[in-house]
Amino acid sequence: MSADVMLTSERRAGAMKPLPLPASRRAYAALLVTIGFGLCALPSFVSGYVMTLAVEVMIAGIFASGINLLTGYTGLVSLGQAMFLGFGGYGIAIGTALLGWPLWISAPVTLVVVAAIAAPIGAICTRTRGVEFLLITLAFSQMFYGAAIKLRWTNGSDGMTGIPRPDLSLLGMSADNPTVFYYYVLVVAVLSLLMLWRIVTSPFGSVLVGIRENERRMMSMGYAVANYKVGSFALAAVICAVAGILQSQYTYFVNPDAMSWQMSGEGVLMVIIGGANVILGPFVGAAVFVVVKQALSMITEEYNLFFGIFFMLVVAFFRGGVLGSISALIGKRQ
Amino acid sequence: MQPFLIQLLNGVQLSMLVFLLAVGLTLIFGLMNILNLAHGAFFTMGAYFGLVVANNTGSFWLALLVGPLLPFAAGFILQFFVLQPLAQRGRSTHLDLALLTFGLLFATAGAVEYIFGSAFHSIVTPDVLMGRVALLGIEYPIYRLFIIAIGIAIAVGLILVIDRTLVGATLRAGVDNREMVTALGINITFLFALVFGFGSALAGFAGVVSAPVMSIYSSMGIGIVVTTFVVVVVGGLGNLKGSFYASLIVGMTDTFAQAYLPEAELFAIYILLIAVMIFRPQGLFGAVGRVA
Repeated sequence: MSADVMLTSERRAGAMKPLPLPASRRAYAALLVTIGFGLCALPSFVSGYVMTLAVEVMIAGIFASGINLLTGYTGLVSLGQAMFLGFGGYGIAIGTALLGWPLWISAPVTLVVVAAIAAPIGAICTRTRGVEFLLITLAFSQMFYGAAIKLRWTNGSDGMTGIPRPDLSLLGMSADNPTVFYYYVLVVAVLSLLMLWRIVTSPFGSVLVGIRENERRMMSMGYAVANYKVGSFALAAVICAVAGILQSQYTYFVNPDAMSWQMSGEGVLMVIIGGANVILGPFVGAAVFVVVKQALSMITEEYNLFFGIFFMLVVAFFRGGVLGSISALIGKRQ
Repeated sequence: MQPFLIQLLNGVQLSMLVFLLAVGLTLIFGLMNILNLAHGAFFTMGAYFGLVVANNTGSFWLALLVGPLLPFAAGFILQFFVLQPLAQRGRSTHLDLALLTFGLLFATAGAVEYIFGSAFHSIVTPDVLMGRVALLGIEYPIYRLFIIAIGIAIAVGLILVIDRTLVGATLRAGVDNREMVTALGINITFLFALVFGFGSALAGFAGVVSAPVMSIYSSMGIGIVVTTFVVVVVGGLGNLKGSFYASLIVGMTDTFAQAYLPEAELFAIYILLIAVMIFRPQGLFGAVGRVA
């Protein structure tokens, strides 16, 4: 192998492997266990404020992970994923408040319905690519945003309140307690991550990465590329909807703002900050984003101004993301 | 019949306003392959700069003339000093650049709110264009007819410039083969930045023109830019004549939905867009090559 090829393969390592961070799998496992213990023990040594931040980071991280599946792995940049965040929240709001179903029925039904809605939307959107895909996903989310503002039986722009948290009285706990809710979100986040990890390490996930790298080649190899893209779109939607359910439980309400254009943009920003196509990237990105947002809200009320500037700087100069930069450093040393 | 006629004219008026935005967006995309999500920011900039000029001089015409200069400068600077260098160094793809302009859209809305606050403003209609005129049995505001006239004039002017002049020929050549045009001694980077500025100026012009009939507020650009995106996708990205027809289709759909189907008002144009996407993903008027 010539030095030239070595160089390119090294540079591309970060983009190709699903888990580029660790030098070895054992180091990676050790890292995960440490993070896991840290997160489990967190409530016992930090204030309530830090814990709310942690809950927000995890919810945002799940949302961004859904976007990462579509954007990072499949290479389809969407500016409309917030519509599925909204679907999740509205789904359980409609299920529990309007239809009177218990949460444990509403939540799974919501996810199934979201998948069923997302598949045809994905089938339409994935007929385009690149900037056109970005525009049409944006248009779809604006359509549902408009509908949510108009619809009277979901209270229009006021949104719906009284969304229940899970009933944990069987375990002798109440999810209204911040610590209990923290563990609930943690469990859901870990399960979502495991599911995502299963997806991206499966043959299905490899096909998605193949589509990102060279769609034409995948087609000529006989893969039904269109179906894979729709599948990726629907799965991403379901993960975003999970975040939507948690978010509405966290705040006890949902309103059309959950589907706003800016929300979609925030998700994409988190993916970019963390490093696209790295499985933990969205969570790192969400952590950076939530902390920066909190810090900014202490300094100024002009959130849009700083969100915009922050967004531009990250896109222009920080394309590889936090994890991408670290793995590049490790790659250099090896 | 008469209410219908009024709606029809309102539809044309909205179409022309959207066309002023869509034409800049599509010109920039057609030539530079950059999707400028910040196009709405230039609309806002033009409107506010026009407002400042109008407040200080009391002249609507001066505002109309000077207002677009700020978005022109901003657009030129954005393309020449930010987007072009990023694209040239190969660090950013077209999608990255689109996302960068997305950040700019919100930064501008925030900056405007910081400077002017979140109040609603308006520019007073000039005396000449005040009042109504009798037309086919209805009374119609002169100012709205003025908007329609401006839209048509700009559409005709642009098509003539691009089809018939040396500048137009250079631009078309630049799209077809950028290296060859550079080799002929034309500074295409500078020319493209000028076009970017011109497209932005048109958006700013639309901002001033719309000020007497619509309100000026900090996030005005964020709302209208989405309608503009629908137009450029329906018309076929980068297709100049397509964007004119698509403006009419979208403007009409929106106006008539508001008048006759108020429940569907907020999503009628998206249903149109989805229908177009299902049957012609390249846009209604998307030709094989780009026209602009």
